Amino acid sequence: MESIQRRIENLSSRRNFLRRSAALTLATLAGERPNAVWGAAEKPVATADAVILLWMGGGMAQTETFDPKRYVPYSPGVKSAEVMSTFPSINTVVDGIKLSQGLETIAGVMDKGMVIRSIVPPDLGRLLHSRHQFHWHTGYEPPQSVAVPHIGSIIARTLGSKNPDVPAFVDIGQKIEGNPDSETLKTFHAAGFLGNEWAPFLIPDPATAAASVVAGTSMDGLRFRRRHQSYRSMMKNSPVLAAGSDYYQESLLRSVETAHRLLESPSAKAFDISLEPKASFDAYNTGRFGQGCLMARRLVEAGVRFVEVTTEYIPFQRWDTHVNGHERLVGLKREIDAPIAQLVLDLAQRGLLKRTLVVVASEFGRDMMIEGRPGRFIQEDSTIRQPERMSEPNHYGMHRHFSGAQSVVFFGGGMKAGIAYGSTAEERPMHVTDKPVSVIDLHATILRAAGIPPDFAYEVDKRPVYVTKDGKGKPVLDLFA
Amino acid sequence: MRDKVPLFVLLTCSVLPAAPKVDFARDVQPMLHAHCAGCHSGEKPQAGLSVLTRAGLLTGGAGGPAIQPGAGSGSLLIRRVSGKSARMPLGQEPLTALQVSLLSRWIDEGAEWDSKSPLAPDNLNTRIKLVRPEVPSSTQPNPIDAFLERDFRRNRIPVPGEADDAVFARRVYFDATGLPPSPQELDSFVKRSEPGKRQLLIDDLLNKRQAYAEHWMTYWNDMLRNEEGVALPGEKREWITRWLFESLKENKPYNRIVQELLAPEGADAPRGFLAGVNWGGDVSASQSPAMQAAQNSAQVFLGANLRCASCHDSFVSRWKLNQTFGLAAFFTTDRLEIARCDVKTGASATPSFLFPELKDAEPPEELAQRRRQVAQMFTSPQNGRFAATLVNRYWKLLFGRGLVEPVDDIEAPSWNADLLSWLSADFVASNYDIQALLRRMMSSRAYQMESVGSNTAAKTGDTFQFRGPLRRRISAEQFSDAVSALTGEWKPLDDLTGKPATYERKWRFRSDPLTRALGRPERIQVVTERSPEATTMQALELVNGEELRTQLRRGAARLNGSFHEAPASAADSGQVRAATVKVQADIRGADRVWLVATDLGSYDRDKVVAGWMDAEFEGLNGLVRVSDLPLAEGFAKGRLQVKDEAAQDALLIRAPSSVVYDIRGKGFTTFRAVVGVDETCMRPDISGKIRFFVFTTEPGNGEFVRLTGTTPVPRPLADSGQSLVRSLFQHAFARQPNPSELGVANDLIAHGPDGIEDLLWILVMSPEFQFIR
Repeated sequence: MESIQRRIENLSSRRNFLRRSAALTLATLAGERPNAVWGAAEKPVATADAVILLWMGGGMAQTETFDPKRYVPYSPGVKSAEVMSTFPSINTVVDGIKLSQGLETIAGVMDKGMVIRSIVPPDLGRLLHSRHQFHWHTGYEPPQSVAVPHIGSIIARTLGSKNPDVPAFVDIGQKIEGNPDSETLKTFHAAGFLGNEWAPFLIPDPATAAASVVAGTSMDGLRFRRRHQSYRSMMKNSPVLAAGSDYYQESLLRSVETAHRLLESPSAKAFDISLEPKASFDAYNTGRFGQGCLMARRLVEAGVRFVEVTTEYIPFQRWDTHVNGHERLVGLKREIDAPIAQLVLDLAQRGLLKRTLVVVASEFGRDMMIEGRPGRFIQEDSTIRQPERMSEPNHYGMHRHFSGAQSVVFFGGGMKAGIAYGSTAEERPMHVTDKPVSVIDLHATILRAAGIPPDFAYEVDKRPVYVTKDGKGKPVLDLFA
Repeated sequence: MRDKVPLFVLLTCSVLPAAPKVDFARDVQPMLHAHCAGCHSGEKPQAGLSVLTRAGLLTGGAGGPAIQPGAGSGSLLIRRVSGKSARMPLGQEPLTALQVSLLSRWIDEGAEWDSKSPLAPDNLNTRIKLVRPEVPSSTQPNPIDAFLERDFRRNRIPVPGEADDAVFARRVYFDATGLPPSPQELDSFVKRSEPGKRQLLIDDLLNKRQAYAEHWMTYWNDMLRNEEGVALPGEKREWITRWLFESLKENKPYNRIVQELLAPEGADAPRGFLAGVNWGGDVSASQSPAMQAAQNSAQVFLGANLRCASCHDSFVSRWKLNQTFGLAAFFTTDRLEIARCDVKTGASATPSFLFPELKDAEPPEELAQRRRQVAQMFTSPQNGRFAATLVNRYWKLLFGRGLVEPVDDIEAPSWNADLLSWLSADFVASNYDIQALLRRMMSSRAYQMESVGSNTAAKTGDTFQFRGPLRRRISAEQFSDAVSALTGEWKPLDDLTGKPATYERKWRFRSDPLTRALGRPERIQVVTERSPEATTMQALELVNGEELRTQLRRGAARLNGSFHEAPASAADSGQVRAATVKVQADIRGADRVWLVATDLGSYDRDKVVAGWMDAEFEGLNGLVRVSDLPLAEGFAKGRLQVKDEAAQDALLIRAPSSVVYDIRGKGFTTFRAVVGVDETCMRPDISGKIRFFVFTTEPGNGEFVRLTGTTPVPRPLADSGQSLVRSLFQHAFARQPNPSELGVANDLIAHGPDGIEDLLWILVMSPEFQFIR
C-alpha cells in the first residue's frame, strides 16, 4: 500500500518531469476532460506562443482612433451629419497609414503592426454591449445551452501552460463585483465547459495584484511555510488517506501543492509591477490600463499564454461615449497611446514580439448618426439624442453604437506588419467596403496563430463544440507574414 | 492476456460451466449501443450500417458485411474497432482490449443474437412504461441489496464490508442535512447499542426538515437555475426560492412539484422556471423562451437531451428537431416557426409530446391548458422516464455514480437496469415521495458499506461494477457550512435595510470568490451536476483567499475564547444610495457618541462624497447642531446634494469613517441626522453605497450590523487545550487523531490563536474533510 508521503513524492517527481515538458502540465492531467476532437482541417503551424488582448470595452469609435475619416471641427450650429471624425488624422511611420490625432506614440510603431479596418461586428438585434462582448469573447451569441468558454480559456487549455508556476490565462483591469453589468460580465469571464482550471485569473487592479499571488498576504512567509509543512506532515500521517487511493482526492492534494509552488515561485513576481525599474514603470503608467499593459509584458515573459488587459467596461462610461464623445476620447487616447506602443517596443526589444500576438479590439464601432448598421437601422436608445445641428460641445462625438464596421490592430505573432487591411466608406454609412472580416473569422485567425484549426472541438454531451461557430471560422491567411 | 489467468479465477472456475460463452445481452449488445449506435442506427445510419439487428450487421454497410459469424478476427467490425484501418468509434476513445476480445469471441461463437437473457440490459430505449421487476430472492430485507447481491455474485465480487458507525453517521448527516455531526451527536450515536439505531438516525435526520430543505436547496437551485436576487441587465427575473424551499420542507410529492413548475397557476406559483433566463435583443430560434423551457424541462425531468435537436436532428441521440419544437409549442401560443440551424423552414410547430403514446387528447388552444396537458404527460405514472430520471439522479448523489450515466441521458445503458426499474416503480407507488426514496436508499446495506475511491475518473458505459459507494466531494455550500459548524463562525445575512442581520447557511448568499472556486455555478444554464475536480484556481482561493482566511481567523478566536462580539449600534441607516435616510438614536446616559460610516461596495470608493446633514443633539437644554460644534477630526464641512435636499454645511466623510463626540454631562437624549450620498456619485463608475451607524459604546472593528437569532447549529464551546484538538478531529473527520496527528496538532496550537487557525486550515484542506467517505 502506497503511503501518502510516497504519493506526494511521486507527484513531485512527476511534476519535475512535467516542468520539462512544455506541452503538458499538471493542470492538463487534472483537467483531461472534456475530450479534444480534431476535425478535418489541417493543424496549422503556430506562429505565436502567447496572445495579449487589449480590450477597449464599451465600443471604441473607429473613426476617432484607427480608421480616421474627414475631420470637421466643432462650431456651434455645425451639422452632425457632416462630421465623420472629431479629430484630424496624423501620419504614422508607415506611408499611407494614418491614425487619429492622440495616437502619436502608436503611430510610431505601426511598422511593427497592422490595422484591420474591415471587421464586421455581428448582427445580434439591438446593440447591447453585454451581448456583443459575450459574442466577441466566446465566438457564440448568447444565450447558449452549454456554457461556452472565453477564447483565452480555449487557447490556454488547448496549448497548456508554458510555465506551470503561473496561471495560463490572466485577465487584468475589469472589476466585476459592483459593475451594473456584473452578471453578464461573469458569463464570459469564464472557462465554461472547459472547467475552472482554465478560467481567467482575474486581476481587477494591477497595482494590488501582487497580494493575490504572493504567499500569505496577511500572514508572514515564515508562518505560511510552517502551515504548509504541518499540512504535509498531517496528510502523511493520516490513517485514512493512507488506506486507499482516489483520483479526486489526489487531484485535491496535488492542487494544494501546485498552489503553494505558484505562490512561492519566483515567477509570481511577474505580478508585482512595483519591481519594475522606475523609468520603465513611468513609460507605461497612464493609470490602470497602462499598468495592466506593463503587467501583461511581465506575464508573457513569465510564460502566461493569454492575457487580456481591459480599459474596463462600465455602462455609459469609458469608451461607451453617449455624450461629450470628443472630449472623453482625448483622455482615453492619452491613456492607451503610450502603454500600447511601449508594450510593442518592449516585446520587440526582448525578442518576444515575433511569437506574441498583440490584439487591440472592441465589441463594435461608433457613429454620430447611425445606431445599428446600414440595412438594419436600430431604433435609437432614448439615452442617445444627437441633434441635427450641434449647439454645445458635448454634442460633439460619436455617440451611437455602429455595427457596420470596427477596426482591430495586430502586432507581432507572425502577422504581416506595416499594412492596413480592408477598408470602409469615406462617407456615411461608413461601413466595410472591402475584405470584410467577421468576428468568427477573426477568432479563426487568432486561433490559427496559436496553432489551433477552426474546426477543433471539445466534446460536450457527446457532441463537438467547436472553437469557432460550427467549426466554420475561416482564418484570414492574407494577414500572416 | 488470456494465457495468464489469475489463480482465483482458476479456482472459482471449477464451480462454473467451463469456458463460458460470451453473453450477448450482457456483454455485446450494450457495447454496440453505447459505442456504435450513436451513428450506426436510425433512418439514415452512417455508411448505411445499422448495428441494432443481427441482419444489419450481416448486411453491413458501404464496406461490406460487418461480421462473418465464426470468424471474429477476420470480420470488418473487429478490424475497424481494433484500429487496423480507420479506427472506430470515430473520434472517441477506442474500445478496450477486453471489449474487442469479447466482441471477437462473440463472432467466433456464431454471433448469436439472443437478447432474451435475464441479464438483458433494459436501457429504457424501447418502452416508456415502467415494469416492476421481481425482487430476486435474497435474505436481504432491502430490495436494493437483493438486486445488488445478484451483481456481486455474477461479477464474483466479495460483498464489501460495512462502514463503521462514525463513518456512516458523517455520511448520512451530510446527505440528509448537509452538515457534519457535532462531536456530541457523533458520540451519542456511536455509543447507542440498539440494533436499529442506524434506521432511527436516518429517520431523525430526514425529519429535521429545516436542515434537510436548506441542504437540498443547493441542488435544486442548480437544477432549476434559480439564483435569488440575480438578474441580467434589464431582465425581470422571477425567482422561485420561497416556493422551492417550502416544497422541499413539506416533502411535496415530486409529481406535484413538477406540475407546478410546468403549469404555474396562482399568485405564488413558481413561474420562474418556465420564464427562464433572458438576455435582451434577438435570440437564436433554438433559444427562444419556449425552446429553453422545452430543453430544460426535458433535460431535468426526463433525462432527455434536446440541446442538439434544437437546431437540427440530433446526431447523437434519437431526438429530432420537430420533436423539440413540438414540445416547445406547449409553452407558447404564439406561432412557433421551426428553424433549422437558425434558418426558418416555413413550417409551424404544433404541440406534440416526446412520447406520443402518452397523448390522450388534442392539444388545447389556451396557454394555461396546454401547460396543464404537458405537465400531465411529463408526470404521468405511465411515463417511466419521469420517475427513473429522478431516481437515477438521487442514486448518483448518494452513491457517487448513477445507475445510468450520464444522468442527463436516461436512455443510456444501465449497469443494473432492474434495480433502476424497481426503484422507479417503487417511487411511483410511494406517490413520488422523495424522502421515502432517500430513506430507501440510505437504509440499504449498499449505502452503508465502506466507500471506495474512483480511480478512473471518467469511467462510463455499462461496464461499471458496484463495489460500495464512491467517495464524494462535498459541495461549496457544504464546505462552507461545515467550516461554520466546526468554528461557530457563521456569516450574517444582512438585507441592507438596517434591520438586524440573521445567521444563515451558505445557500442563502450570493456566490462569492470562495464558493465560485469550489464549483458553485452562475446558474445561467441548468446545472445537473458539479465537477468534483480540484483545480489550481480553487486551491489558490483555499490557500490564499480572503474569504476562508477571515472565517478561520474569526473561528479560531471563537474557539479559544478570545472573540468578542461587537456591540450593538444605536441607529443603522441601512444601505444609502440615491435617497437620503433619517437616522435617530437614543443616547441617554451615554458619555460618548460614535458616528460611523462604512462602504458597501461602491464601485470607486475613493470618489464617493457622502455625509451627515442636519446632525443635531437634543437634550433637556434644547438643540445643538453638530455643525456649530468645533469640526471633529474625520469630518470635512461641505456641500451635499441629494435630489431636492441640499446642505452647505454637511459633515462629509470618506468611508470607512468613525468620529467620536464626547457628550459627558451635556444631558443629551437624542441624536438625529439625515444621511446621504451626493447625487453626483450615482454614476456607474462611482456607484456610491454607504451605510451609517450611531454607537453609544465603542464600536467593534469592522462589525457594525446588529445581529439577531441563533446560529443554524449551536456553536462549539470555547476551549484551547488537548480536548480542542480531539473535538476538532471528531467534528471534521468523525474520528480521533492518531498519536502522530495529535503531535502535529499540539505543536500548532502551542502558537495560540494563529496556531489554532492554521490547524483549522489544515483540517479543512484535507481530502478527509472535503470528501464524504
